[in-house]
Amino acid sequence: MSSRLGAFLGSSIGKKTLMSLTGLGLVVFLIAHLAGNLTLYADGTGETYAAYAQKLKDLGPGLWFMELGLAAMFVAHIALAFRTSMENREARKSRYRVRGTKGEANLPNSSMLITGTVVLVFLVIHLLDFRFSEGLAPPHADVLAPKVVDRLASFTGAAIYLIGGVAVLIHLGHAFRSALRTLGVHHPQYENLIKRTGTGLAVALGLGFVSFPVILFASPDNYGGRGAESAQVAPAEQEQAPASGSPTVPTAAPAREEG
Amino acid sequence: MIATNGKDTIGLTLNVWRQAGPDAEGAFETYHLNSVSTHMSFLEMLDVLNEQLLAEGREPVAFDHDCREGICGSCGVVLNGQAHGPDRDTTVCQLHMRRFHDGDTITIEPFRAEAFPVVKDLVVDRSAFDRIIGVGGFVSARTGAAPDANAIPVPKEEADLAMDAASCIGCGACVASCPNAAAMLFVSAKVSHLGRLPQGAPERDERVVAMVQAMDGEGFGNCTNVGECEAACPKGISVGNIARLNRDFVRATIRRR
Ligand code: FES
Repeated sequence: MSSRLGAFLGSSIGKKTLMSLTGLGLVVFLIAHLAGNLTLYADGTGETYAAYAQKLKDLGPGLWFMELGLAAMFVAHIALAFRTSMENREARKSRYRVRGTKGEANLPNSSMLITGTVVLVFLVIHLLDFRFSEGLAPPHADVLAPKVVDRLASFTGAAIYLIGGVAVLIHLGHAFRSALRTLGVHHPQYENLIKRTGTGLAVALGLGFVSFPVILFASPDNYGGRGAESAQVAPAEQEQAPASGSPTVPTAAPAREEG
Repeated sequence: MIATNGKDTIGLTLNVWRQAGPDAEGAFETYHLNSVSTHMSFLEMLDVLNEQLLAEGREPVAFDHDCREGICGSCGVVLNGQAHGPDRDTTVCQLHMRRFHDGDTITIEPFRAEAFPVVKDLVVDRSAFDRIIGVGGFVSARTGAAPDANAIPVPKEEADLAMDAASCIGCGACVASCPNAAAMLFVSAKVSHLGRLPQGAPERDERVVAMVQAMDGEGFGNCTNVGECEAACPKGISVGNIARLNRDFVRATIRRR
């Protein structure tokens, strides 16, 4: 059985199958991640967000387990992406002088490696920004919201998160449908539905993530940013303190691993 | 028949890939043809070019062709970046010059893929396809004498889908047009064509595993589901066959003995 699995994973179809499965897993994660992030909009203080972060932290070892699984999916997906892309380059060393298309090639399906690499670079920055901002342990839940708001209120922060969100949007524009086809799902009756679902997912997730740099850059004060802190949110911060007073608040970090 | 531009002859500039042999450096050469009849096929236009080259004492352009009626799969070049040219469901031998306009420049390149090395000019070696067929693209069961018609019932829909897949002429346009030089459409057509029919079903698992292995071994790329293959296929083979190939491969991996 193991040699059979090895042969499968060594084949082109096996590699693409694993990429599809991990890719779909990452889409599920993105949905959860975005849902968590949206709690930031729930109030102007970041309290709901901190509570969500705290809940994640309270998962204890379960959180580590989830983070490891997530990391494994990322590593497998990215490693296979680079491997197969390199093989594809090897498969055609001499390029066409004129690059034509019969209408099927488009921005998302022709730029998966580029958008994927942008997302990867973004991911590293993003993890350092929040998940590993206090070392290996997840950051405190109560400081997370102001940290997020401050980061996205800065010009570079907003630019980085905007680029990251747009890259996710474009990447997902091809991802869903491609993954399903690689997994063998294709039916003339459902092709349109699958296409629309994929586009809808890409737009919903992409715009969802893009909304943070846009909204927080435009009005950080409304979401408990530093500006708000100094102005009127001081009390809100105190209110938060008890909720997050506990030692270390692991938290939102895991969930934001990659968005 | 009148050309779409109202003229019966057009003038063309051709940028043609010239390569003396497999290991020679290739380069583009530019030729001008002054009066190309719009009633010609694209390959007839190349014949005219070659006569002109021969008259000038130059080496004619080598290109593959045989039936010239879109059924053998011998022809195939890339015109302005499109395998078999701009029309859908059309081999380049069936492409007519009325599709072009007076003064057009056409860049003609060979199918480019490491698995399809250039033999000369526009001729590429597509024997990688033959080797893939050689490991399983057939039915090895002894069938005896020709059976009576309808002795083996085949559901109409399956027969139709098998016929659709069987219409693959193995020209290699899928590979040429694929951004990854993948051969999935070709292999999937062969696997579907045989696997859908009762005669080919018994060897379905061994066939798909062997053919995918051979495909990978030939150095074709990995499918990224762009779909240019289906658009370039002169026989309109559906990418649905690729999904079916993926399913078949997983299934065979699991249950093969
Ligand atoms: S020459 Fe036979 S298909 Fe074009």
